[in-house]
Amino acid sequence: MKNYNVVGQSVRRLDAAEKATGTAVFSSDFTLPGMLYGKVLRSPYAHARIVSIDTTEAEKLPGVKAVVTYKNTPREIFNTSATMTFTVPALKPVLDQYIFDSVVRYVGDEVAAVAAVSEKLAEEALKLIKVEYEELPAVFDPLEAMKPEAPDIHANCKEGKNIIGEIIKIPMGDVEKGFKECDLVIEKRFKLPIVKQVQMETQAAVAQVEVNGKITVWSTTQTPHPTRMILAKIFGVPNSKIRVLNPPYVGGGFGVRIGLSAKAEPIAVALAMQAGKPVRVIYSREEDFMASDTRHGGYVTVKLGAKKDGTFHALDLKAALNGGAYCSFSTETPGVLGAMGLAVYRIPNQSYYGHSVYTNVTPAGAMRGFGNPQAMFPIESVVDMMAEELGMDPLELRLKNIMRAGDPWCLPYPCQSTGLAECIERGAKSIGWERRGSLNQPGAKKLRGIGVGVGTHVSNSWPFCVDYDNAIVTVQQDGSIHLASGVPDIGTGTSTALPQLAAEVLGVGLEEVSLTFGDTLSTPFDIGSHASRTLYAAGTAVVAAAEDAKRQILEYAADFLKVSPERLEIKDSLIYITGRELGEDCAGTGVCKTGEERISVTLQELAYHAHLRNKQFIGVGRIVPENAPPWHAHFAEVEVDTETGQVKVIRVAAAHDVGKAINPVIVEGQIEGGVLQGVGYAVSEEIVHDAKGRPLHNSLHKYLLPTAEDIPEIDAIIVEASDPSGPFGAKGVGETGLVPTAGAIANAVYNATGVRFYEIPMTEEKVFRALSAAKNSTC
Amino acid sequence: MSSKILTFTLNGETIRVVVEPTDMLADVLRDKLNLIGVKKGCGQGECGACTVIMNGDAVTSCIIPALKAEGAVVETIEGIGGPGKYHPLQESFMDLGAIQCGFCTPGMIMSAKALLDKNEQPTREEIREAISGNICRCTGYVKIEKAVSTAAEKIREGK
Amino acid sequence: MLQDYLIPETVEQALSHLQGGKGRARVVAGGTDLLLDLANGKKEAGVLVDLTRIPGLQEITLEDDLIRLGAAVTHNQVAKSKLIQEKASVLARAARSVGSLQIRNTATVVGNVVNAQPAADAAVALVALGAVAEVVSPSGKEYIPVEKLYAGVGKSVLDSTSQIVTRIQFPALLKNQGSAYERLEQRKALALPMLNVAVVVSLADNRFQWARIVMAPVGPGPVRATEAEAILTGADVSLGNIENAAAAARAQANPRSSALRGSREYRLEVLPVLVRRALEAAVVRAGGNC
Ligand SMILES: Cc1cc2nc3c(=O)[nH]c(=O)nc-3n(C[C@@H](O)[C@@H](O)[C@H](O)COP(=O)(O)OP(=O)(O)OC[C@H]3O[C@@H](n4cnc5c(N)ncnc54)[C@H](O)[C@@H]3O)c2cc1C
Ligand code: FES
Ligand code: FES
Repeated sequence: MKNYNVVGQSVRRLDAAEKATGTAVFSSDFTLPGMLYGKVLRSPYAHARIVSIDTTEAEKLPGVKAVVTYKNTPREIFNTSATMTFTVPALKPVLDQYIFDSVVRYVGDEVAAVAAVSEKLAEEALKLIKVEYEELPAVFDPLEAMKPEAPDIHANCKEGKNIIGEIIKIPMGDVEKGFKECDLVIEKRFKLPIVKQVQMETQAAVAQVEVNGKITVWSTTQTPHPTRMILAKIFGVPNSKIRVLNPPYVGGGFGVRIGLSAKAEPIAVALAMQAGKPVRVIYSREEDFMASDTRHGGYVTVKLGAKKDGTFHALDLKAALNGGAYCSFSTETPGVLGAMGLAVYRIPNQSYYGHSVYTNVTPAGAMRGFGNPQAMFPIESVVDMMAEELGMDPLELRLKNIMRAGDPWCLPYPCQSTGLAECIERGAKSIGWERRGSLNQPGAKKLRGIGVGVGTHVSNSWPFCVDYDNAIVTVQQDGSIHLASGVPDIGTGTSTALPQLAAEVLGVGLEEVSLTFGDTLSTPFDIGSHASRTLYAAGTAVVAAAEDAKRQILEYAADFLKVSPERLEIKDSLIYITGRELGEDCAGTGVCKTGEERISVTLQELAYHAHLRNKQFIGVGRIVPENAPPWHAHFAEVEVDTETGQVKVIRVAAAHDVGKAINPVIVEGQIEGGVLQGVGYAVSEEIVHDAKGRPLHNSLHKYLLPTAEDIPEIDAIIVEASDPSGPFGAKGVGETGLVPTAGAIANAVYNATGVRFYEIPMTEEKVFRALSAAKNSTC
Repeated sequence: MSSKILTFTLNGETIRVVVEPTDMLADVLRDKLNLIGVKKGCGQGECGACTVIMNGDAVTSCIIPALKAEGAVVETIEGIGGPGKYHPLQESFMDLGAIQCGFCTPGMIMSAKALLDKNEQPTREEIREAISGNICRCTGYVKIEKAVSTAAEKIREGK
Repeated sequence: MLQDYLIPETVEQALSHLQGGKGRARVVAGGTDLLLDLANGKKEAGVLVDLTRIPGLQEITLEDDLIRLGAAVTHNQVAKSKLIQEKASVLARAARSVGSLQIRNTATVVGNVVNAQPAADAAVALVALGAVAEVVSPSGKEYIPVEKLYAGVGKSVLDSTSQIVTRIQFPALLKNQGSAYERLEQRKALALPMLNVAVVVSLADNRFQWARIVMAPVGPGPVRATEAEAILTGADVSLGNIENAAAAARAQANPRSSALRGSREYRLEVLPVLVRRALEAAVVRAGGNC
């Protein structure tokens, strides 16, 4: 393996000091002189027409500076997600939202907003707005919403009742014929919950509109550049007159703000325009729960066929997802669900049919894994069932069927690398797979079990969505490096890992590199932090820019040292002639005697030398990324209390093929955090609605994500099957930590109890019921 | 409303600040005293982002009436260390990858500090108990737990 | 709207602040319930009278085998108290399970009782311990069993705009007595109980002299499983008797279905398991064995 200086090192994060001292600035900390506070009035009904809305009392309240409704805001239709900026032709993005509309379609939908001199006053003013609603019939389940008698939630559905955008169909081989050729076929339908990102900083934006019409928005968006495009369209302002930036820190994202931060940005801008003052909008935690995108719940059906020897021969996957009241990412999510679901195993005959359905609940959008966890819990459950039917070890069956590099698959780019077999091997060792089957004493009330789940993912969104990237590397006059990338850092460590890449390519220390990021004004276009792409795609642009700058440096240095550039290298900011002893030299001293031959020069000296001759080294990276599959295998050990139904996850061994870990500690952190979200997805997290469509799990106390006292032991294992397409061989990792977790846990629960779950989360009550039912049917 | 003057010790300094009876301590610290290290993730005592140490105990300042702090000794992340004199917890959080988005970090460190101030040899269970009210959605708590035990070690060694 | 926040130094001062408020002044302790209730309009108050600085009320004392907790004693104080761990472990465990450490550092045991939620952890344990509240008001001092403080879900018979609970007291458990707490919860912190059960047993010669079994939320307040207690009184310590008692407890429970914390049916099914586990643990602590 090649030795690197900065790449592969777990250097301390560059943002660590600010964050550890409480000085890091987030959108919700951001203030401006004269700033007002915005608050939003939300619908108490799941579906209603606004008959009348009277804001006069609110406007009269002293201290209230602006009140906005559908009557005095732009009637420009949009989609809060970045889909409207990166849908690849000939597909067309679904646009179905206004800042405010005369119809509300879920409990929490925006009705009006107020800006006032204090938050308390703004809240009081909201109470003075009189709205008369006419309730409309509402529907909450995607299968119900597809029935003819269901209410139409939008008028734009072409493919079927309440179906959002296009139905995604992925054909490969001939499934019908394939199933006929199988010895064993298993078909099961699974039900998936609506869950939430619950990033720790709620949606927030501060908007300033200058007298000359220029707009600046500081916000929590994961995609500053696309967000600028969306705002430009809504407000009819040229892109060049809007600046969107993070301040620069963002308190997590996990997909919830790919595009707008719910509606925080447009509402803040609309209020700021009317008030003529800057306005800050921060969602309360309850608003964040009920009025910002969730993960799609819904139904997934898996039909898997195999030959007697265990060879998978046909797979049919179907999904009907709950899209909620507006499209957001409801066309892409079922696409990723299908594409990833079909990409794990080499199966000659496959098909996928999936879509989302409008219902009257909070819109579903992007959340870490983006459809993939919804695919892999069902698929990995069925693969486990198949192993049992075949009488094979689940690991053996998987190893027999997993995709190999070079295999044909349904994805529009080649599979160039896979470390999945190694992931399975190392994960199995970590969990102690051989203990499986001998974990329990007869008669025990608490039963242990071990299960496995595997999967893959993407490393960016090309060619499913627009995905290109740019970076600029500027060598400063003193030889230090400035890097500009439009990508934000939502906590994943981008602002450390990208400088690591630049430093490695340029042969300088990390402390020489500074980064500007997450700002549309000072960085070139970048599509944002999503699709596990920042290191892979933005990183590829950074490497290209650094290589470009390096070429310029070496060309200039070649002249300076009077050798050909091919003979030069840079290390520790020293440009030297390769193959020559680096002994006594006058480099850096600037006092070479005439006639003495120089064999090296510091970047500092060279950059200043160039500067005095009207030259600067500026590297530009402009790339369209390829794509590469990261792979992963999770092994879970659980203990089920058969008397109460409680499932305790004791240990998760999570082996991840990341291609190359540019910063191993950051990579481990991504895996560990992902795993815990996966544990929550499997056993406790869920948003349930009452009969009126009101979300019941709308606070951190009610929404059951794991706390520090709930964590299993997590062993994050890094596997590096280098991919030729990624920077230094790297692949994506941001989302993958939770892709196979629920499947592994469900399989472990089956291993413990002999009861199979077709629905998550496996809450105590569900498990208790299923165990009771199983007991009753056997005796 | 009847404004009052609140007098208390904040990060070692005596502070006098005008507050309303309805003001919560977190809002006074953030909005009136500009201590933005006191984060707000819920405003309901359910996430721990606003954790400060009051009279030696970690508390969620978002549900503490500001006037309850009258005469109290309050510590926030801003008062525990910085460049050149980082608190061992800050050091270990930075070094061991316990920080991702950083939104939970100040509250997390304050909860951990309240623990280590009283107990330099905490067990794993005691560490988990100490941060059980601090939700972190990024890290899975693995590196945070390690950072706290490493800081405890450093503190013990430093004696 | 809140107009003032007062921090009296004596109980008398506190009482006079309340009187001066004429129903608009209200007692506050940790405020972990009250401040949220004020914010979302569930309760109203013009003045808050904070009891937590009154000397003496922060103490846990043992005198003549009577344990007394002042109104300012927090859940964490109780959870960490050696005295409580040894002589009323059911309360230490119940207090330890409240919310998170930050909440336990702020919230008081007495507030937990007066707030009158049916499954308030410390209150359930206190009923099992046979605790009594010392209540002062302008008309004098009275002692009311904690069990009798409930007027409905979230409703106390006490009026916190005129009455103050200064202390709660209960007998310290003796060598032949044991207690235990079982809690069915959806996660280990920041979760209200789906069910909680507190038991105290007193044994002699491996027989139950008496048992107190309290369960929640299966009624408007903590509910005594009196039938189960009767079954055990005088009975041998045996698994069979414990299981009978657990079944009787179930028969007396009337839980509601909660969309957040379990259906009535589920709660009924699991309740006897918790009662059994609690009794088994309490018996062991009392030096018995089944
Ligand atoms: C995030 C969170 C999690 C929680 N989790 C749990 C849990 O798991 N289990 C649980 O049981 N509870 C839980 N609670 C509620 C718990 O904190 C309270 O019940 C607490 O014990 C109340 O005490 P306090 O001192 O904060 O009361 P306060 O809020 O100060 O008062 C509560 C009520 O009692 C009255 N009052 C208080 N003291 C007196 C007195 N001495 N005399 C007369 N009236 C008085 C007040 O006027 C008020 O009406 C949680 C709360 C929060 C915010
Ligand atoms: S902001 Fe105080 S606990 Fe969440
Ligand atoms: S680091 Fe993001 S919430 Fe903890």
